[in-house]
Amino acid sequence: MALLEIRHIYKNFGGLRAIDDFSLEANAGEIHGIIGPNGAGKTTIFNTITGVYHPDQGEVWLDGNNITKLPQYKITHMGIGRTFQNIRIFKGLTVEENVMCAFDPQSKYSIIGGILPTPNRIREERRGRELTRQYLDVVGMLGYKDEKPENLSYGNQRKVEIARALICKPKVLLLDEPAAGLTPTEVSELTDLIRKISADFGFAILLIEHRLDLVMSISDTIHVQNFGKTIASGTAKEVQNDPAVIEAYLGAEE
Amino acid sequence: MSLQILLNGISTGAVYSLIAIGFALVFNILKFSNFSHGATMTASAFIAYFLVASKGWGLAPTLLCSALSGAIIGLIGEFIGFRRILLNHSAPTYFFVSSITLGTLYEGLVTLKTGTNFYVYPNFFDVATVKIFDAVVSKENIIILAISAVALIILAFIIQKTSIGRQIRAVSFDRDTAKLMGINSTLIIQVVFAISGFFGGLAGCFLGIKFTLTSTLGSLVVKGFIASVIGGLGSLTGAVIGAMLLGIMEALFLSLWGSGWATIASFALMLVFLLVRPQGIAGSNVQEKA
Amino acid sequence: MKLFLYVLTQVCITLVSVCGIYILTGLTGMFSLGSAAFMAIGAYVSGLLVLKAGLNMYAAFAAAIIFSVGIGYVIGFPIVRLRRDYISLVTLGFGESIAQLILLLSQFTGGAFGLIGVPRRVNVWFTLISAVIVIAITAFFKTSKFGRQCIAVKSDELAAQAMGINASRVKMTAFLMSCALTSFAGCLYAFYVGYVGPTDFGWKKSADWVIMVFFGGVNSLTGSIFGGAFLTFLPQYMQALNKYRYIVYAVLVLIILNFKPNGVFGEWELSPRNLKRLFSPKKNRREDV
Repeated sequence: MALLEIRHIYKNFGGLRAIDDFSLEANAGEIHGIIGPNGAGKTTIFNTITGVYHPDQGEVWLDGNNITKLPQYKITHMGIGRTFQNIRIFKGLTVEENVMCAFDPQSKYSIIGGILPTPNRIREERRGRELTRQYLDVVGMLGYKDEKPENLSYGNQRKVEIARALICKPKVLLLDEPAAGLTPTEVSELTDLIRKISADFGFAILLIEHRLDLVMSISDTIHVQNFGKTIASGTAKEVQNDPAVIEAYLGAEE
Repeated sequence: MSLQILLNGISTGAVYSLIAIGFALVFNILKFSNFSHGATMTASAFIAYFLVASKGWGLAPTLLCSALSGAIIGLIGEFIGFRRILLNHSAPTYFFVSSITLGTLYEGLVTLKTGTNFYVYPNFFDVATVKIFDAVVSKENIIILAISAVALIILAFIIQKTSIGRQIRAVSFDRDTAKLMGINSTLIIQVVFAISGFFGGLAGCFLGIKFTLTSTLGSLVVKGFIASVIGGLGSLTGAVIGAMLLGIMEALFLSLWGSGWATIASFALMLVFLLVRPQGIAGSNVQEKA
Repeated sequence: MKLFLYVLTQVCITLVSVCGIYILTGLTGMFSLGSAAFMAIGAYVSGLLVLKAGLNMYAAFAAAIIFSVGIGYVIGFPIVRLRRDYISLVTLGFGESIAQLILLLSQFTGGAFGLIGVPRRVNVWFTLISAVIVIAITAFFKTSKFGRQCIAVKSDELAAQAMGINASRVKMTAFLMSCALTSFAGCLYAFYVGYVGPTDFGWKKSADWVIMVFFGGVNSLTGSIFGGAFLTFLPQYMQALNKYRYIVYAVLVLIILNFKPNGVFGEWELSPRNLKRLFSPKKNRREDV
């Protein structure tokens, strides 16, 4: 059984078929790209995997567990981390606190430790802070730990988001258009970062991206979505020459 | 349930639906709970009392004055309380605080004039009751019901059939897109506040007739809130259905246990509703986008 | 001096509840218009336990706080799963219901006459120490994992859940903390004044606290405490002002909301590090003070 198995999921919004029979199997160490025009239901797939919505039909299995109907936060605990298309950093927390609060659900101290400096709290806080700094270092943002995230560049905010997802100890990492709004230099930095974390942590990565150069260069498998349906999937080469894909992107020849 | 209780309940429900509609209109367009609505009701009811009713001018002018005062207060509130916050794209919490503050301000101003005294509208009706089958219904209840129904029907017509109504719906659905389509969203928001205040004024006047005028009259706005929650937050139809249901249930509780327990029972009713059907009767559910 | 001590006690009691509101509103972004009802529960329950059951005052305080938290759980259970608007609507209804309940249970509560003869065993020092402890607890809460998760939920509930934060539970924790603190304020109030009246705990009082928090700065505990202290001191010393109290408050806050939405203090907190930064002009001083 694969690490992540998505089995024939469907999702409707009113009359709109946002996902029309999507399946995917991903194993540790693989990078899967999901591409397609706007409105093809890519982000909805992510939202369905992570439990923002539940699919109308079909199942999502992670590491042998059925996670289809779990609430969002439990799915994260099971091992799915994500970033967002439009960056969703927590305002009012520093960079370090942003990452640390994603560790907090694993932090083991009770409400007594919440209002008093108990030894337990001090130990757990130290553990959390060390881990946080470790992950900030992985994405190269340790130097910015005391900044307010909203003052950072887009590229750096993305990195904070990735660190925040990493500290959740995901088995599968979902990146939703990580290169959106980045400068060319930032894009190449980001590509290197994705390759690096994929190699170092050995989790499966699902990647939604509009920049075909980025997707084509780092994905092992590419799934092309259009109007909720998967119109092609395979390696970059296979997908590039698929007539259905060319039609979706360039329009049919008259 | 006797016919008597049912009729009383429907009449109370009619006033509650005016409150709930005024609240739901603003909720729909700006997605926040306008807590100044209660004080708007109080203030307009008092303005109508001092300017019109105390001079013995009868029901119609009093109602009109109250409703128009409500509309004007709504406009003022929009200008001093919400305009800049909207333009600054501040968090929704600021709307909320602003509305509480406006509520405190209006109530403070009313208290300045009235203190904690009670005021009573003059008797607008010479014959106090009418008989419908075996139920004795006070005339004021019937008039209140009739006027509320007319007001609600006119509002439904405006929202569904007129250009301004379409624009209101568009701005409620998506303010930014509506703006791009050339809708003057600031103007539409002003219109909504005016309509909301108008309904608040009507409701305030009716509450003043049904009960007595005090500076804390506006706290009855909580009935409108409960009705909105039962009906489905953000749905206009739901607000009316919820209000009617609440009015009837309350009349029933009132006849069973008296007024104090009725308040508590309707609150418990709301809690139960939130447990079993949090999206309300109309089932509109405001979903966040990921 | 006597007036000063009286006002100081008022300030301390207010600060205890303002800390509760800060956790609920400042940290978690939820608004309660029924917080004062929890103060009423604290005041009545502790007062009654001492008067009618002859309980020790401290035990009565503890019992009243636990009771409030229990009620808070019942009220909070349906609403923490929903949009944050619901908590304001539901708590407002709750406040009205409690006010009615106090009147209805007049054989215990004294109804409209209020609860008379509560022993006045709380003095200015007791409230002062209580306020200091509560402020410390709130500060610890803010910097704990709970505080961080509260801020995350306030900022973006959906993203918080995607990071594994159980938003309903976080909201419940914050709500219960605020119930506990406001009901403790009620205990102090009852045993300081010696009398509990049914009209002291309307939604206006809850609104007052929210206004204080926003006046000082909703993101800053220092600011909230400043707001609470300042807006309690001010009307007590300007008797002429007392009549216009609510109007002056409202106008002040409207001005702040319109022109300085983060309140007087913004996000600035009183801490040794921030103080040092404030008084050393060479290092780039922050603008947000």
